[in-house]
Amino acid sequence: MSTKKITLLSSDNELFTVDEEAANQSLTIKHLIEDTEPENGVPLPQVHSKILAKVTEYLIKHANEPDNDAAAKEELKNWDDKFLEKVNHETLFDLILAANYLDIKGLLDLTCQTVADLMNGMSVVEVRKLFNIVNDFTPEDEAEVRKRRKRGTKTIGPSNDQANQSNH
Amino acid sequence: MESLPDAVLQYILSHLSNARDVASCNCVSHRFHRSTPFIHSLYFPRNAFDDTSPSNPSTPIILNMISSAARLDSLIVYSSFSAAALSSWLSLPSSSSLRRLELRMDSLLDKGNAQLAASEAMSKLQCIDCLKGLEELKLWGVLMTQFPNWTAFLGLRTLEIVGARFKDEALLEAIKACPNLRLLALLGCDGIRSLSIELLQLEQCRLDFYGQGNCFLSLNCPMLHLLEVQGCSWIQVNPNHRLTNLTIANNGGRVYKVDLGKLNGLEFLSIRGIQWCWDAISSILQSASEVKQLVMKIEFTGDFDVLQSFPQVDLVDFFNAHSKLERFEIHGAMFAALCQKNSLKRVDSRFTIPCLEEAVVTVRSPLNAEQKISTLESLLRYGKKLKRLSIKILQMKNSHSSTDEFFEEVCKFRSMNANIVRIE
Repeated sequence: MSTKKITLLSSDNELFTVDEEAANQSLTIKHLIEDTEPENGVPLPQVHSKILAKVTEYLIKHANEPDNDAAAKEELKNWDDKFLEKVNHETLFDLILAANYLDIKGLLDLTCQTVADLMNGMSVVEVRKLFNIVNDFTPEDEAEVRKRRKRGTKTIGPSNDQANQSNH
Repeated sequence: MESLPDAVLQYILSHLSNARDVASCNCVSHRFHRSTPFIHSLYFPRNAFDDTSPSNPSTPIILNMISSAARLDSLIVYSSFSAAALSSWLSLPSSSSLRRLELRMDSLLDKGNAQLAASEAMSKLQCIDCLKGLEELKLWGVLMTQFPNWTAFLGLRTLEIVGARFKDEALLEAIKACPNLRLLALLGCDGIRSLSIELLQLEQCRLDFYGQGNCFLSLNCPMLHLLEVQGCSWIQVNPNHRLTNLTIANNGGRVYKVDLGKLNGLEFLSIRGIQWCWDAISSILQSASEVKQLVMKIEFTGDFDVLQSFPQVDLVDFFNAHSKLERFEIHGAMFAALCQKNSLKRVDSRFTIPCLEEAVVTVRSPLNAEQKISTLESLLRYGKKLKRLSIKILQMKNSHSSTDEFFEEVCKFRSMNANIVRIE
């Protein structure tokens, strides 16, 4: 097992040191190391230190993912939930962008699922607010889209009617 | 947040599944609208759209949404639909990639004309046949009186049917059409009298049959490690199995014969029901000599309609034969039968219950109070690792004075061993 250290350089010139094994979860970093063998740290000009701190926290925790240990997997899942618990929406989207740029599949899945969960039960207006999106539909367009869907704007209602399995 | 690249937005949206959320996203902006084809999983709750009525049913909306996806991976529909609607959805190009399908078929509701209902139910089952890539199929409320002529689901790993009425032949053929199942669950099923399953890759099998509790079940599944059966009176499993986890229950009828071969690898065993033939109980307990967790809740024994009480079982013999027991749960009449008939007052000094950590005992009658208390004491005395002994006192008739005496005894027993014993 390699214990080689890798230094990462954020856009605001802060240094972060992690084990190579942890860093390699990011395919972007892995390829950068292979291609350029940087001496003064791997430059990541797209990632601010505030976000990179969070990303390295994730990389270190996930460096040795358990294969078959159910309890360890459960622990890791709980850690993941906590990891994003107090993150605000802006940071969450920054993390998605960083995970996308650094090509860290696990983190991208986790953050995207979190956003998808946030959208659960949201109205159109709330989704626009969450993504900070300006409605670019003309009223005619919007009426057309809505008509095609044959439904009203309200999306609120009980969503979980998954019947319980009958059991002994 | 317009800075999110399209690919990332599509990736986020691909994590959505609830149809209401997908429909909302469609109306957010042009970019969102363009990204909805990347949805790969759709879930329609029971009342997916609150503005639908018989004159404005939700089925065209579902058709619309399925067709706007490019490649669906998973489809779950809990809102009601007709066979014609289902057929139109499943024949769309975006459905051909489906790997997971879950449908509330609603075929068991009384719709007046039984013949019409049966043919509608059959058509619904038939149109699933076009999904050759299915890996997981779950159906609620199925009526299968004839085999729906499925060619074969070679990739299907999981088949779950909850709430169904079958004819033996139809079910047999349906299971044969899924030769590579790993998991089979038929829960709350009616109309089955005899079922024989031969699946080479089956690992988990859960069967819960309604009715008289007199089904005949025969299994030949060399990979089987989990089996749960409710409602069968005669169970035969080819001894090539790898069972580690076994539950046999019967709330409707008598368990007559259980033929499982050796159960050396069995770790969990639960036997429950109203009446089991004594041969069935003793043969299963004898074979399961390595069991770590054991739950026993049978009310009566007897080979015929007459309900008989259990013959007495010696506690020392029992625990010597199951020395690996870690958790042990025993109810009412079976507990009453557990005593020290052979070993009373002359227990071999070397006797211990070596692994037992937790015991749960349900007591339902104050009869033979002295014997019961002494059995509880023995559990405590010989169970060197016992951490918890829970005594549940259930439905005991209060009229009798012996009840109070018994209860007092149990309380005394608890107060003397407060760190381990609990009364519930």
